[in-house]
Amino acid sequence: MKKSIYVLAVIALTFTACKNEQNKDDHKDDHHTEMHDNSDGHHDNDGDKSMGEKRNIESSDDKNDATSMMLDGYFQIKNGLVADDKKAAAKGGASLLKAFSEFDMSTLTEAQHKEYMEIVENATEQAEHIVKSPIDHQREHFDVLSNDMNDIITLLGTDKTLYQDFCPMYNDGKGAYWLSETKEIKNPFYGSKMLKCGKVHKQIN
Amino acid sequence: MKRKLIIKRIVLLIVVVFIGIQFVPSTYNQSDTLLETDISNTFDIPSKIQTLLENSCYDCHSNNTYYPWYNNIQPMSWMMERHIKNGKKELNFSEFGAYSKRRKKSKIKSIINQIKDDEMPLSSYTLLHRNAILSESDKLLIINWMENQRNNLK
Repeated sequence: MKKSIYVLAVIALTFTACKNEQNKDDHKDDHHTEMHDNSDGHHDNDGDKSMGEKRNIESSDDKNDATSMMLDGYFQIKNGLVADDKKAAAKGGASLLKAFSEFDMSTLTEAQHKEYMEIVENATEQAEHIVKSPIDHQREHFDVLSNDMNDIITLLGTDKTLYQDFCPMYNDGKGAYWLSETKEIKNPFYGSKMLKCGKVHKQIN
Repeated sequence: MKRKLIIKRIVLLIVVVFIGIQFVPSTYNQSDTLLETDISNTFDIPSKIQTLLENSCYDCHSNNTYYPWYNNIQPMSWMMERHIKNGKKELNFSEFGAYSKRRKKSKIKSIINQIKDDEMPLSSYTLLHRNAILSESDKLLIINWMENQRNNLK
């Protein structure tokens, strides 16, 4: 008698679990189908070795407010990671996504637009992951995001003073860059484990 | 006496629901065409790597899933559909060629990290697909090859 009840309970739970899993489905914008033909090779990005290579596209001061918002979101992520605080980093990710969505692209030239779309498509994915991942994953995506943010800043410009910092140990010793609003080194890749590890590679502004 | 009747009714309900959901259609992720954008058209893939990718990754990360018999039963079918939808959204080897260079490099990085962290292939997947399990040497092979492709993209 009791056995039957347990069996029924298990079956009921299974069905409930399946239903719950389905409800978790996000209906995000499918921005992944936007395929940009980047085959002209003009705007090659060499990411990891050094950031901030000179680009041929002019930047304009109009974009400063927009990049300000993006940088705020980015720094929120960074500071969350420095503090080993996954939730704070996730909040930063959400702020960054908001900044991206509120950016008015009509201010860009055609060339800038194309470049921007390519970068932001990738940066958005990184931010989305940061919103929903455990801290190790957040850091992995922060690595890629930092590169994207640097390229956005190079493209759109900023009047803020920024520091491009380098952590030599991350990525199995290959190293990783990040942007900081403060000169003092506080490592987002290792947090409290190696807070002071890293050095300023370059100052922007 | 009354309890037995309630249990019988619940069982009947479950059976009816179970049979009912079998009639709800599922979309099948299958395709015979090798797309222009397939990763094999982007990179020269050694056959060993191709086999590993197909066995361990393609069911959720390509346009062609191999469906085992139990997939014809709901709710298995829904669950698989969800995995495939999420997997392809994240990474689709059939459309890899259409990704921007930036995105390709980013995805390769993620692939390497996920394999290194033992997050992929999913353990729930390898539980039912023993041939999808990657040995340590398999992992190294894929990681090294991926790393080289990424460097070539610079």
